[in-house]
Amino acid sequence: MNRRFYIITVVFLLIGTALPTFAQDVLIKNGTVLTVTKGTIENGDVLIKKGIITRIGNNIEAPAGFKVIDATGLYVMPGIIDSHTHIALTGTNEGTDAITSEVKMRDVINSEDPGIFTALSGGVTMVHTMHGSANPIAGENVTLKLKWGKTAEDMLVSEAFRTLKFALGENPKRANSFGPTRGTPRYPQTRMGVIAIIRREFLRAKQYKEDWDRYNQAVKKNKRLIPPRKDLRLEPLVEMLEGKMFARVHAYQADETLEFIALAKEMGFKIACFEHVSEAFKITKELVEENIGISIFADGWAYKMEASQGIAYNAGYATKKGVLVSINSDSGERIRRLFNDAAKAMKYGGLNEEEALRLITINPAIQLGVDKIVGSLEVGKHGDIALFREHPMSIYTRCEKTIVEGEVYFDREKGGEK
Amino acid sequence: MKTYRKTIVFLILAFCYVGIQARTSPTYAVVGCRLVIGNGTVIEKGTILIRDGLIQSVGPAADLKIPPDARVIQGEGKIAYPGLIDAHSQFFLERKPAGQGDESETDEAADLWKNAHVNAYDFIKPKKSTREDLHKIGVTTVVVVPGREIFAGQSVIVNLNGDIREEMVLKHSYGLHINFVTNRGEYPSSLMGTMALIRQSFYDARHYGLHAGLYKESPVGLKRPAYNPFCETLLPYMNKEKPVVFNCGNMEDINRAVRLVEELGLRGVLSGANEAWRVADVISRSGLPLFVSLKFNPPSSSRYVRLGEDLKKKAEKDIYPANAAELNKTGIPFALTSNGLVKGSDMLKSLQSAIKAGLPREEVLKAMTVRPAVFLGIDDVTGTLEAGKIANVVLTEGELFEEKSAVRHVFADGVHFEYEAPPKKKAEQSPAAVNITGKWRVQGAAPSGEKAVRIPGQGTQGRTQ
Amino acid sequence: MIKRLLFFCLLILSGLTFLSAETKKSGVIVIQGATVVTVTGDPIPGGTIVIEGDRIAAVGKDIPVPAGAVVLDATGLFAYPGMIDAGCFLGLQEIRMVRATVDSQETGRVNPQVSALEALRPDSMHIPISLSTGITAALVLPSGGLISGKCGLIKLTGWTTEEMTIKDPVAMVVQFPSMRGSRRPSDTPQPPSRNLQDLQEIFDQARYYGQAVSAAAADKALPLPDFNETLQFMQPVVSGELPVLFNVHSEKDILDCIDFVKKEKIKAVFMGVTLGWKAADKIAEAGIPVILGSMTDMPSSWDDGYDAVYRNPVLLHEAGVKIAFSSQSSSLAKDLPSMAGKAAAFGLDRSEALKAVTINSAEILGVAESMGSLEKGKLANIVLCDDDILELRTNIRHVFVEGVEADLSTVYTELLNKWKKRHKKPE
Repeated sequence: MNRRFYIITVVFLLIGTALPTFAQDVLIKNGTVLTVTKGTIENGDVLIKKGIITRIGNNIEAPAGFKVIDATGLYVMPGIIDSHTHIALTGTNEGTDAITSEVKMRDVINSEDPGIFTALSGGVTMVHTMHGSANPIAGENVTLKLKWGKTAEDMLVSEAFRTLKFALGENPKRANSFGPTRGTPRYPQTRMGVIAIIRREFLRAKQYKEDWDRYNQAVKKNKRLIPPRKDLRLEPLVEMLEGKMFARVHAYQADETLEFIALAKEMGFKIACFEHVSEAFKITKELVEENIGISIFADGWAYKMEASQGIAYNAGYATKKGVLVSINSDSGERIRRLFNDAAKAMKYGGLNEEEALRLITINPAIQLGVDKIVGSLEVGKHGDIALFREHPMSIYTRCEKTIVEGEVYFDREKGGEK
Repeated sequence: MKTYRKTIVFLILAFCYVGIQARTSPTYAVVGCRLVIGNGTVIEKGTILIRDGLIQSVGPAADLKIPPDARVIQGEGKIAYPGLIDAHSQFFLERKPAGQGDESETDEAADLWKNAHVNAYDFIKPKKSTREDLHKIGVTTVVVVPGREIFAGQSVIVNLNGDIREEMVLKHSYGLHINFVTNRGEYPSSLMGTMALIRQSFYDARHYGLHAGLYKESPVGLKRPAYNPFCETLLPYMNKEKPVVFNCGNMEDINRAVRLVEELGLRGVLSGANEAWRVADVISRSGLPLFVSLKFNPPSSSRYVRLGEDLKKKAEKDIYPANAAELNKTGIPFALTSNGLVKGSDMLKSLQSAIKAGLPREEVLKAMTVRPAVFLGIDDVTGTLEAGKIANVVLTEGELFEEKSAVRHVFADGVHFEYEAPPKKKAEQSPAAVNITGKWRVQGAAPSGEKAVRIPGQGTQGRTQ
Repeated sequence: MIKRLLFFCLLILSGLTFLSAETKKSGVIVIQGATVVTVTGDPIPGGTIVIEGDRIAAVGKDIPVPAGAVVLDATGLFAYPGMIDAGCFLGLQEIRMVRATVDSQETGRVNPQVSALEALRPDSMHIPISLSTGITAALVLPSGGLISGKCGLIKLTGWTTEEMTIKDPVAMVVQFPSMRGSRRPSDTPQPPSRNLQDLQEIFDQARYYGQAVSAAAADKALPLPDFNETLQFMQPVVSGELPVLFNVHSEKDILDCIDFVKKEKIKAVFMGVTLGWKAADKIAEAGIPVILGSMTDMPSSWDDGYDAVYRNPVLLHEAGVKIAFSSQSSSLAKDLPSMAGKAAAFGLDRSEALKAVTINSAEILGVAESMGSLEKGKLANIVLCDDDILELRTNIRHVFVEGVEADLSTVYTELLNKWKKRHKKPE
């Protein structure tokens, strides 16, 4: 019995590790390679070994055992990265309490969400999948590689920044009344209250940290001390104060965005990125000065009051002004056409093709802290690649194959999955 | 620890003994049957002596002397098995613990998840028909799990020795049961909130225990800890004294449970788990006891139900029933449970389809006898037909789990129940051409009653009269 | 917030006053040097378009410039007919989640008496955005219920609804009752849904009502039927004058709807038709044109394939169905060209995709004699742009609506220009 178990385990391990490694050796041949950071290579090849890009150039021969993907007539671009979405999760909001910093999207990854496949069909290989915007302080987000068919553990991107979701404006103040509405209205109901409650929690977190520091000192002398109660709600905020985690902030209006920047300075934590920021074009000065990126819609606007000035020039204009901009989906549908959305910044804002491509590749990678491993086609980065028919910034394009770490997870030729 | 356990066992046995003494508990000798001991040994023509609710002795019929006071049961042509154990069930739960639909009773919705203190025992209402249904598939012992809240409460292990609640109890509090569910409208309203709540609750219990411990050591100069019933209940679980059973509705739940067990340092048990085969590596690495449900419906989150109708049908028919068979191939030990099933007969159907899907019959038997006994920590008193153990014995015509077999006698704590073989519905119809050779047994519809007949030779087809 | 809205409106108003005074004076404009994409004929490289008044006087190559004409050098540009959005909520929905700004859906189920254009807000901030994308006309829809009301066709310039109206009503909008829970065609025949019975009854009663009214008109001795608003406003529908725009999606519903149309002998147009490809031959056979719904809809079932909605247009076209695209939006009505472009990415011929936002739409809406292509005698709805009009990156340079060059400023540009002042480097 034991011996059989051992043999089976070994066989399983062999199958489990050997096969995918093999599949991760691949040569993409003869495409128009849009590296994003290092220009375009006509008739270019990309060699991926064990999931990592080892060579980019012309006339690369496939080493023995490498699978060859013919990209003749196709465009080869880095896998698209969605800096803000909610796919692959079981539940989006813990919308009951105003402060729910104790929740983690890591806990509720749903690797079975067909939304993962939908995203892959649009060339997306990585997502920052987030808590919703029902609360001023929500939960910890998570960054995933879209390895459709694998488990949550396989999809986690450990290199990514740890981020905590904050939300300002109409959603946390429940102006559009979603979530539970019975009983007394939840505090806060105004933008004043939203800022105030976030400040309150950080003050609490500071005191909590102080309590622990004092305890840790005192317990050295007196073993009979009772430690402070471990508070999972405050611990992420302490980690923010210690610079171990960064804020991702849902904010539409210019005013609330600036208020939050001021609050972050007052409390001493860092902002990774603002979300949506319909009115970023009004405050590019501050965003550049503070070096805070924005993750926004190409042109989704006017669905609610705070989005009523979300002009389509936002992304292009802010980019030209020097703000680090990414285009996000925030949706399980829009995620499959982020390349179309990025192209809109060419018309509105006058970006060139490469600048537009950056909005969905290297820029979100920088925002997520993963630009060393993904976001462009460079030697040493992960073999996360999307193959498009026509230039990805053309409306006539379509994604043909999506590859994560050298493995094909979407193949249009095979009718997608089936 | 060990002595503690022994004491408990002794007390339980004593309790059972007293209980059974209250009724007439004759001594039995089951003679001449095939004995499937449950530890790998099979005695072709054996005898079991049952006295005082225990198995007094077991052995080849030739070797055992039948005591003069024994009531003899002729086991010729029958097979004796250890009584089956269902390690996770909702049988006999008549009243539901507070907060489950009884909205009139309580308005304190916010505390609904704090059901940790609830014990299924308090909600059990023994029911003869349910007990008989279970007996008829060979089950003599069930773990009754309360509620479906996050902290659902504690389970009780009962022996199906009759219909008196007190007498049935084998172990009053087996484990704490946790479900990955939410609290509609109140915190936690989402799975992520539930995860956070579970963590915080155990950390709070640890903190409480630390404080209470220091205070107990010496209260002088120490703030008195406020009594907290919730933390008090969680303490033995936080301290690994007792197991925490996570009901895992899908494969990600299994990952969640394993992570929680590791983070919090719990004595974890995985239950439900009808997608266990999909995360076999995780389970194997965790080494946690595994209670696999015989409910094969794919969870709504499963890709098998979300990627089209054809796949969904295949999943229901072929993929999910093969969970146990697939697990068995990996060598991960598991018990089979009725978790999620309503009727005993559903359990038998599921067992049969698991066998059809490739799970060897002897593995099914293990998964319902020794394995759950070990996992539940009751293997010293039940799970096999060995002398000294509780007399949980099932005597069948035909092999267990077979469609045409029938359980004819059940002993639970030595209490004897006899069942008529089910009437043959289609006796007049021409028999299906099934190859029944060797050890297969077939019932003949003799006027005197039903008899097991051994079919000699090979290739005999059809019904023997 | 209201103030802010008013502010937008002011901005738009001030923008519109800058209409080219010059072109108005002369009456003749000549667009020279553009690649003229006529849609109905072959593209004419280096072509000329002569505009006289509100009409196209000539299109072709080497056409002499009439004396006194204003000449617009469009070398390097492309000339297209103005696109037509065959279904949108422009002027009815301003800010979707602010109820006070939404007028597209009346309460109740049966509202044949309402007309979308009677709620139109000519000053909507969304209209100039569509216009500046090269869309010059749009079908404005009521929504919801069973009978939603009447839709009307507008041009995207003008100060008042009256000035903007091209054709009203165009059709009665009906949300064809869907068989609940019957996404999959069932083997056993199901009884018609309650809503379908209701619809049938309204049609039957309306016919009888019409009969009673005309009988009473012919013979004063006969009593008039009791006044019934619904039946009254259904008269043009049952008489076959006013087409019905059926919003219908699933295969079963489409087949039921075709039966209904045949039985009632009414003029019909289908809209939405997400699963039209499953019944394409039947739709073609019935000769019913289709206005496709949003191309951003998700497939209703995994079994249909991830690109089912994207492939739907080409499959319908190949079966012989006349198709047009619609935005089904107000704030993103400007994305109409992307709908057609997306269909082209998934197999629809590019020239067919273009037709489906121009001439096909005009034909389906019954205005092909005056718009939908660049042809002599049609209204001068002309778009000049620097690339393929369906492309995302294409810049629209000039838009003429009925011979008048339109102001292309929008709330986008007004707001941007306002805030650009903040970011000017200090002197």
